[in-house]
Amino acid sequence: MEEYKYIGKSVVKVDGKEKVSGAALYTDDLEFGPNMLYAEIVEGPHAHAMILSIDTSEAEQVPDVIAVVTGKDFPYNFGLYMQDRYIFAQDRVRFFGEQIAAVVARTPQAAMKAAKLVKVKYSTLPKVLSPLDAIKEGADLIHPNLKNYQHVPWFFPKPDTNVAHHRKIRKGDVDKGFADADYILEDTYEVPRFSHCAIEFHAAVAKYDLSGRLTVWASSQSPHTQRNLFAAAFAPLGIKHNDVRVIAPHVGGGFGSKAGVTMEIIAAAIAIKVPGHPVKVLWNREREFYNTYQRLGVVTKLKIGVKNDGRITALKHDLYWDAGAYVEYGANVVNAVGLSAIGPYRVENASIDSFCIYTNLPPGGPYRGFGYSEFLFGLESHMTRIAKHLGIDDVEIRRRNAIKEGELTAYGAHMNPNGLLQAIDAVAKEIKWNEKLKSNDPNIAIGKGFSLFWKAPAMPPNASSSCFLKFNEDASINLLVSGMDLGQGFLTVMAQIAAEVLQVPTSKIRTENPDTDRNPYEWQTVASHITWGCGNAVRKAAIDARDQIFDLIVRTKYLPKDMLYMDDEKVKCKTDPKFEIKLKDFIINGIQMEDGTFKGGPIIGRGVFMPEFTSTNANPETSQGGHPNVHYTVGAAAVIIEVDKQTGKIKVKRIVEAIDAGKALNPSLVKGQIIGGVLQGLSTAIYEEMKFDHRGKMLNPNFTDYKIPTALDVPDEIVPIIIEVPQPDGPFGARGVGEHPMIPVAPMIANAIDDALGIRLNSMPLTAEKICLTMLERAKKEKK
Amino acid sequence: MAIPYEFGYVKPTSLQEAIELKGKFQKEARVLAGGTDLVNEIKKGFRVPEMIIDVKGISELSKIEIVNGQLLIGALVTFSDIRKSQVIIDNMNILFEAAGMVASNGVRNRATMIGNICSAVACMDSAAPLLVHEATVHTASMDGKREVKIQNWFVDNRKTAILDNELVTHVSIPIPTVKYAGAYQKMMRYSGEDLSQANVGVLLFANGDCHVAFGSVGPTPKRSLKIENLLKSKGISVATIEEAKEMIETVIAPITDVRATKEYRMHMTKVMFERAMQTAMERIKMPKIITK
Repeated sequence: MEEYKYIGKSVVKVDGKEKVSGAALYTDDLEFGPNMLYAEIVEGPHAHAMILSIDTSEAEQVPDVIAVVTGKDFPYNFGLYMQDRYIFAQDRVRFFGEQIAAVVARTPQAAMKAAKLVKVKYSTLPKVLSPLDAIKEGADLIHPNLKNYQHVPWFFPKPDTNVAHHRKIRKGDVDKGFADADYILEDTYEVPRFSHCAIEFHAAVAKYDLSGRLTVWASSQSPHTQRNLFAAAFAPLGIKHNDVRVIAPHVGGGFGSKAGVTMEIIAAAIAIKVPGHPVKVLWNREREFYNTYQRLGVVTKLKIGVKNDGRITALKHDLYWDAGAYVEYGANVVNAVGLSAIGPYRVENASIDSFCIYTNLPPGGPYRGFGYSEFLFGLESHMTRIAKHLGIDDVEIRRRNAIKEGELTAYGAHMNPNGLLQAIDAVAKEIKWNEKLKSNDPNIAIGKGFSLFWKAPAMPPNASSSCFLKFNEDASINLLVSGMDLGQGFLTVMAQIAAEVLQVPTSKIRTENPDTDRNPYEWQTVASHITWGCGNAVRKAAIDARDQIFDLIVRTKYLPKDMLYMDDEKVKCKTDPKFEIKLKDFIINGIQMEDGTFKGGPIIGRGVFMPEFTSTNANPETSQGGHPNVHYTVGAAAVIIEVDKQTGKIKVKRIVEAIDAGKALNPSLVKGQIIGGVLQGLSTAIYEEMKFDHRGKMLNPNFTDYKIPTALDVPDEIVPIIIEVPQPDGPFGARGVGEHPMIPVAPMIANAIDDALGIRLNSMPLTAEKICLTMLERAKKEKK
Repeated sequence: MAIPYEFGYVKPTSLQEAIELKGKFQKEARVLAGGTDLVNEIKKGFRVPEMIIDVKGISELSKIEIVNGQLLIGALVTFSDIRKSQVIIDNMNILFEAAGMVASNGVRNRATMIGNICSAVACMDSAAPLLVHEATVHTASMDGKREVKIQNWFVDNRKTAILDNELVTHVSIPIPTVKYAGAYQKMMRYSGEDLSQANVGVLLFANGDCHVAFGSVGPTPKRSLKIENLLKSKGISVATIEEAKEMIETVIAPITDVRATKEYRMHMTKVMFERAMQTAMERIKMPKIITK
């Protein structure tokens, strides 16, 4: 096995000192001088209504108010995968709290005061607050114009309905598969919406200068995609891509909420109306909940047939997604799940229908896990229930069905190399799966739960990453990439990759969050693809630089290229142990020849990566024929819980989770992802719950009533396990692990509750209240 | 977050000055001690006063002391002060216990107990301990001093017996002459900071007397003499606790809201009552009460 110096080492984060010392600046920290203006949003107080009129005259009279803008000022559609979104509501409001207008003023106070004086007249429309209502015959249409929206070729909207996309899988013969089954389990599961709860609010400052240059500073996961969508939306104004510049300062948490474009376009649009003034739009905690992306809710109907030995003969999975008022991003969640809702199993006969359904609730969008947590809640609950029915061990039924390398995915492509079985075995061993536990306290029940997980990046087939690598005089490096460090350690890992190829220590590599004018293209920091995709680009850039260095040595020192290698910031030669030359002696200023001339010049590496093997071309009726996903990352997890039988409260004693990282480029960062993901998963499993009233208004857009765990609520122990079955096309064998750790948590908690108490909960969250009331209900029935 | 509303601010240095200001502005003035409720209300524009009277400069309001067998807790005493006070630990353990469950450390460092009973939000944590200890609220105004028994203090959700020209200066708690031990239970959605969805306070006395109070299960917190009389007359036992649990159904009136259903609140109040009784019974047997 190859020995690495920087890869596979827990290198300290390159941005750690900046963040720990407070030197790191976030969007709201930036200073823009006395010309700065502040915008305040006017929100619609209805989930579905027509806008009859907007009277801004009184607001305009407030001192310090510069302008009031409304939808009429910006008649542009935009969206990532489907252009169904507007900067401000046009004639129609589609969710409670949607932006109708904005006041721009010299102080936030004046803007807030004036925003209350904007008078909007509405005529309300019937609203649709659940996906099952939205697909009923005669349901009111939320987007009557659906058929005219532009969208990517792999979406299939149903005009004149509320179905924005329908992803279908038809594989094998499902009817025959169910006919062959010895046992069939069919049930419905419900997963509500959730919020990302990043600590930093969405923030954007935009400036349209008098020369026509639009610069946007935004807390963002997607600087280049934002530039692209801004340029597309404002193209009617003559704005070109190179007129738009997005600068991305540090980000205080993303989890998907800062991907694509949401409120940032409001700042950009307003700025165009007040040239020369920087305009700040800052969201507050409430808006973080009801006017950014939310995780989509879903109702799933799942039917699985098995033989008596537990082998799956057929699977039918119907998913009805509550995608919200706009689905420009969320429809791809629906698509991704449609392709993968067999879970990490070998399923020869499968039928999947994944429906993206408009509702009058806030827009659904990307959220860590991208739909996989949602469908695996039902699927992994189902597997444990089937095992219980058949009298097969939980671990064993999963081992028997686990998908192996080369077996077919739901869409007929070959499964990538993976360590699923190793992960299952490692978790079962570490959690002592076969050991029965019993509490000494009669009020406490102990339960164990198991779950597998898998997830593929959901990306367009041409999602690309690129890198510039610039050497400096002292052989230090500026590594220019456009991925975002969201706390996951992206920049550190990119530095490690370049360090390994060039044998320059990470302490001499500076890599920072991007500016789209200076840094090369990156699609987005989403989908857990950035280590893999951008890592490949960095590796190629480093190899490109190394090639240039070696070529120069060949040209000036007459040594064979294939005998040259990098070591300790020097070039050395395998066949000439006495030869060595320090990078800093030539990396910018070249190598001097005997005649006094210099050869070479600044070494600049360039790397581009596009997954050229992927394709979304497939039969829309079956999804067979394409290769939409690059690969899957897999793993397994198990939990031990204690439940208070009187109160329903859960205490998590131990969670063990194993993930196949391909190659853990930085093990401590991978472990960090596992621990953080497990906590986020636990939070959605037992604490978080978005509540809406009959008007579609969110009732708990605050941490008083929307609970995420505090330090007091973390499990007693979380054990991360790294499995390494290399991804052949990954940098040093790595594949993504960012989203995955949270995915198995909800079903394994549900399975553990069943194990502890003998009750099965099919709807998330699995709150103490729900557990307790279910127990009381059962006790009441038993009495009768 | 910017506050778009305008208001006056004044910081008196003596109680007399504060009383005069309150007398002048009446209900147009609101009193700032910890501000953890007040500032939020102003930010949201719920109740924006013409004048804020900041009483933090009046040092006599920050005392915790025992005078003539009465424990006195001043208007500036924060929940963190309570957590650090040996006088409270030794004499009013249930308040010490409840104070530790109020919000988070950061909030406890600012929020005052008197502010808590002046805001009088139904889910407050201070009420049950003060009710079982039969506290008295002391107010001052240009008209003189006034005393209000704690059970008469809470008029409705967010409404107290305070008059527009009054300030609360302190509460007094009579120190029982027989041995006693209390326990507080709070229903929370998780272990982090949470507003109680129900709470129970009990105080047992060596002479067989007992006091029981419930919070967050009705518009105002209240004691239940009915349950107290049952336990007093029949004695405290597994059977009478069970009987008292059933009686809770007739004593409290929880509602369903965004935080919990009335069914769960009712069930949890019974469980918490039983657990509080068990804890208090264990504690009264101890030579010295130890709580966390």
